[in-house]
Amino acid sequence: MILGVYDNPDKIYAATKKLINSGYSIEDVYSPFAIHGIDRLMGIKRSRLSVAAFLFAMTGLSLAVIFQVYVSKIDWPMIIGGKPNLHIPTYIPITFELSILFTAFGMVASFFIVNRMFWGKNADIIDPRVTDDLFVVAVNIKEHKTDVQALNQILIENGAIEVRERIKED
Amino acid sequence: MDRTKEQQLLQNKVNRRKDLKMEHAEVHIREEKYAITDGNKKWAFGLMIVGLILAAIGYFTYHPHMEGLGEHDLHHLVQKRLLSNLLVNGYFFFIVSICAAAFIAISQIANAGWYIAIRRIPEAMSEYSLVGGPILIIVSLIGLPVLYHWAHDGIMNPEAPNFDAILAGKSWYLNKPFFFIRMIAFMGFWIFAAHMFRQYSRKEDLAGGLENYKKTYALSAAFTVIFGFTFSMFSWDQMMSIDAHWYSTIFSIYNFATGWVSALSIVYLFTHYLRGKGYLNIANDEHQHDLGKFMFAFSVFWTYMWTSQFLLIWYANIPEEVAYYKERLFGSYQFLFYFVVLINFLVPFFFFMRRDWKRSKIAGYFVASLILLGHWLDVYLMVMPGSMNLATNPTEANPGGIIKVPFQGFGLMEIGFLCLFTGLFLFMTLKALTKANLYPTKHPYIMESALHDVGI
Repeated sequence: MILGVYDNPDKIYAATKKLINSGYSIEDVYSPFAIHGIDRLMGIKRSRLSVAAFLFAMTGLSLAVIFQVYVSKIDWPMIIGGKPNLHIPTYIPITFELSILFTAFGMVASFFIVNRMFWGKNADIIDPRVTDDLFVVAVNIKEHKTDVQALNQILIENGAIEVRERIKED
Repeated sequence: MDRTKEQQLLQNKVNRRKDLKMEHAEVHIREEKYAITDGNKKWAFGLMIVGLILAAIGYFTYHPHMEGLGEHDLHHLVQKRLLSNLLVNGYFFFIVSICAAAFIAISQIANAGWYIAIRRIPEAMSEYSLVGGPILIIVSLIGLPVLYHWAHDGIMNPEAPNFDAILAGKSWYLNKPFFFIRMIAFMGFWIFAAHMFRQYSRKEDLAGGLENYKKTYALSAAFTVIFGFTFSMFSWDQMMSIDAHWYSTIFSIYNFATGWVSALSIVYLFTHYLRGKGYLNIANDEHQHDLGKFMFAFSVFWTYMWTSQFLLIWYANIPEEVAYYKERLFGSYQFLFYFVVLINFLVPFFFFMRRDWKRSKIAGYFVASLILLGHWLDVYLMVMPGSMNLATNPTEANPGGIIKVPFQGFGLMEIGFLCLFTGLFLFMTLKALTKANLYPTKHPYIMESALHDVGI
């Protein structure tokens, strides 16, 4: 990978645009904060986390309903306050809370799994300075195929303060 | 992967990017005013005239029949239905226009930038309050002794045959002079604040600078605090005191949710409409998406409040509290009661959960109109079951002194008055849109709003 280091979000936006238009494959753009529009520019697809959230919520909802129906209707029917055994309005608070609980924990868990964040894993930061005030664009190169000279030229022309190579660890 | 395939993929990527309009594009701030078209006028005045005719037909053809009621009581019922309908529509459209002003105030003190592109729409909606306020006051002046049990003659007089000790205990708050003092003071302040929001915003278009922004900020802070307290009391007065024996502490928040979500739906519809006509060049799907998220969130909020009120009363089962729900849940209003929850919760929840449907014009029109219908019916259900009841002298068998009147059907009078008020609201809003630029061109956050992006 070739890394271009920038000190300005507008410069890295312009550089990324130029690189994509010239047909380079971009690994990722690293920034301390969100740069509006750069996700569309890079053609990143929408996250499926919301679909996962919906499925987790439905899991929580059905488990809550099944548990309450089982307890209060099938296993141990009791009359409380003169209400029928199968009393749907009383299920609302627990069903609601369990849906939220499952969604919250499920989303956190899926986020960690998708991003391969586990206990004891070393942080693999492309360049420590992107956590502070610099921006890095990482361009994939193929040996003997990519014209590295031209790539460096584009990076520097768009205002890179530093260009270097990094061996990708897979 | 061979080279040609890789290049093809990259080319696809580039093409996909070209299809997306949102880039750091150049923004053109246009000074344009809305021009009312003939079609607008036809619709607004057509709705008003048709509504008036339908309401008149409904009024003159309504001949109620009930066992055990005399000619006098039946005549009373006709009046009650007429005034109830006026109250439902007067209240609904007035709180919608005031909640539009509250939307401006809340967004202002939150330092929100995204909504500036559509800010003139809630501003225009708040202009309806100039007409809607007086209408509601007149309806209350005529309707108070007819619709409100506590305002009947003699009900708080211990010598009178229809004396009601519980209502007499509330007489320090529920009495006619204090009712009108509150009503006029609250409405006066809201209408004044909404007027000042519009004035500051329109002045800013001419002068620029931060002066008007700061003034709006200060007024918004005051408005938000005062509105919170006064709207609570306003909803008790107008809606909750119809069932004067009954009370609910969450009622005012529930009413606020009704007004707020309806106001957002109307803003959403107007944004789609104006964009479709080629206006509002800086508003795009991103703003539509955020309004859709707001509608989704506050539909859920409304359901939360609705459930909170219903669940506690249902569970505790205290006679004086369940009286309110007994009529609605088991009586002749049962279908409407369930229908309201269905369209106010399930429709926005499942339709607006999807990102692309919040942005879609067809799904948006569908959901927003259903939400509006649902919340109008919700107000209808707050008023009708209580206000149509007839009062008699309390006896051993009937200590409440109320003769229950079942659902009288959804007739021409209901449809007529809904059309009449919709036409009036549309006309006032569209007319207000012509008075200033369609978005505040010199607002400090206008560029932030034009470049607003919720991401992918």
